[in-house]
Amino acid sequence: MLYREALNLALDHTMEHDERVVVLGEDVGFYGGNYRVTEGLYAKYGPKRVIDTPIAENSIVGTAIGMAMMGLRPVAEIMTINFAMLAMDQFVNQMAKLRYMSGGKIFLPMVVRMPQGVAKQLAAQHSQSLEHMFASIPGLYVLCASDSISAYYGLLHAIRMDDPVVFLEHTLLYGMDFPFEPMQNFDPFKARVLKKGKDITVVSYLKMVHDVIKVCQWLEERDGISCEVIDLTSLRPIDFETIYQSVKKTKRLAVVYEAPKSLGLGAEVSAKVSEELFYYLDAPPLRIGGEEVPIAYNRKLELMAIPTPEKIYSQILSWSKRHGL
Amino acid sequence: MDYEIVMPQFSDTMEKGKVAKWLKKEGEFVEKGDVIAQIEAEKALMELQSFRRGVLKRILVKEGEEVEVGKPIALLELGETLPEVKLQAPKEEKPTLLEEKPPEVIKVKPPEEKRMELAPGFASPYARLLAKEKEIDLYQLQKEEKIPSPAHAKDIEVFLRERHFTPKALELLKDYSIDIQELLKEFPNKKIDQDLLLTYIEKKNIPRKVPLSSVQKSLISNLSKSFPIPHYHIYEVFDLSLIPWDKEITLTHWLIKIVGDAMQFFEKLRAIYKEDHYLIYPSSNLGVAIAVGDDLYAPVVKEVNKKSLGEIAKEVRELRKKAEEGRLTQEDLSGATFTISNLGMFGIRAFDAVIPYGQVGIMAVGMQDQEGKAHITFTFDHRIVNGFHSALFVKHLKEKFLDKNYLKMLKREA
Repeated sequence: MLYREALNLALDHTMEHDERVVVLGEDVGFYGGNYRVTEGLYAKYGPKRVIDTPIAENSIVGTAIGMAMMGLRPVAEIMTINFAMLAMDQFVNQMAKLRYMSGGKIFLPMVVRMPQGVAKQLAAQHSQSLEHMFASIPGLYVLCASDSISAYYGLLHAIRMDDPVVFLEHTLLYGMDFPFEPMQNFDPFKARVLKKGKDITVVSYLKMVHDVIKVCQWLEERDGISCEVIDLTSLRPIDFETIYQSVKKTKRLAVVYEAPKSLGLGAEVSAKVSEELFYYLDAPPLRIGGEEVPIAYNRKLELMAIPTPEKIYSQILSWSKRHGL
Repeated sequence: MDYEIVMPQFSDTMEKGKVAKWLKKEGEFVEKGDVIAQIEAEKALMELQSFRRGVLKRILVKEGEEVEVGKPIALLELGETLPEVKLQAPKEEKPTLLEEKPPEVIKVKPPEEKRMELAPGFASPYARLLAKEKEIDLYQLQKEEKIPSPAHAKDIEVFLRERHFTPKALELLKDYSIDIQELLKEFPNKKIDQDLLLTYIEKKNIPRKVPLSSVQKSLISNLSKSFPIPHYHIYEVFDLSLIPWDKEITLTHWLIKIVGDAMQFFEKLRAIYKEDHYLIYPSSNLGVAIAVGDDLYAPVVKEVNKKSLGEIAKEVRELRKKAEEGRLTQEDLSGATFTISNLGMFGIRAFDAVIPYGQVGIMAVGMQDQEGKAHITFTFDHRIVNGFHSALFVKHLKEKFLDKNYLKMLKREA
């Protein structure tokens, strides 16, 4: 099932069963969504439940907050995370705070969906990975999905939650086809161990997960290094328990993500692991992230700025060699 | 321009191949048609020729490594094309496999990183924990250069192993899944040598791991694919007393010839089944089951119908020799539509056999009794031959075994 179809299905299924669920955003209605995620919903549920908004991100999030306050369950789409910057006041000062500031009287059962990451030559203003901005705000839940299973069940879970959720997708994942199987008790707050291994724990999320899995196969086949791959389906809160369990076994941690290396999820995960499991570690944690630059338009420069399977492979390998594996 | 050389598919059933040897080095010039590598697949060693000319830029699969068919194994930087080729219409010459997009390959060279070196006294937190648990003086050992600094878990494990085991015992350990901790508990304060380890293995009844050879792997995979095919057996006792076999021309050789001739009258015995059609070959090509050590081969005697008994006997001997020396080529192993397996010489009265994957059937020949009679069991792929046709074939064979003139003629020709 295509990733975007899984998202579409999650929206469709919740809208079918719960008429409080509404979709709003730029071009989500008549046009079917910039990445075709909301395709067919407009025809099925009409303009009252699938709402085309003006190009005004601040208002989209603000409207969704108002709808949620009044009892609807809005799912807002921001075309890409880059444009969410215009709505930061709504995200940070309203969406994340209202439940606290109303003494728990106001619930915000809402979701804001948006894709992030480097696609193909969309240039600096359309290629950012900004998950850490949202994941650092108490009061928000930040979920993300790396394949069709986590997209469908993650979004389903997000819409059913009574708290505000930022749901992150990746631009390149939309058109990707993943195996899908019905699951019971999918819990996005529980990280997924996608591959078992004994030498290194590799934590990743969103699109990088797939590069990591490929790299781990190379490492296993060519270098006899066995990696355990953990896919985070929630960035706030992070399921550290699963990570700890794995690192206790492997004694080594690598975190792979597309955002600039500094001050991001890699820093958080490796800091926590160092705090909790210092005496278990057999090597300093490794962060593999993007370069500290705005993403270039030029394809070669663009690829130089983010981790690629080749780069992840050689970085993990040289780190292992340096630290006695 | 880079051109990917992929693992070719030498036969219909080949799924994986092993690079046995690279005959060209990285950076070496390769002419079109040059043999660049030897590939070991299924049961044979084959030569991989280059379809293009250029410089062998990078070898992606090391000698001894096995990869799936279609996976790139090397990169060729295409050199200048010959002028006459340029004049012709641009016709891309590709190995058949390239039609499918080859999977991605690792294009990076592994980093040549050295491990960190510090003055004695440094260790990872976990290595310290291990050293403490195992009661070893890390600092002292690092000063004696028995453990590197900074020390990691692996260094301590290696050190402990070498302390507790003789080199021969370590070598032996590789073949067994043994819980080292438990083993050490059994023999505290003792260096474990080969004899001690073997006694322990026997006492605990620990199995030895024997990796499958590529021949066995391919056999197992083919058998497993072959067995679910709808098949049936025909059992019959044949009077073979008139066949004048001897040490030179054995019963197997005679049977190959007689069956090969009979196959000319039954085209379905020369057929291969494809999704919506049969491929019927003009020649009678027969496989002969040959066991060499643990491995089983079924090399093919081609065009049996055109060959004399003497020629067949000679060819089977040659094939057996090749099998024993591991020299069978893919050519030797492919093309059969029917196979003969004879266990009569071991005194087996009757048995049945699994059809070699892709073939019509197999006949399993049992021991000849004092009257010269033998049980033969046929297994047929029902998708190709139904009972009626196979019964006619068996009846035909039965008559031929008793046809004095025919047998005399064969003998004369030999």
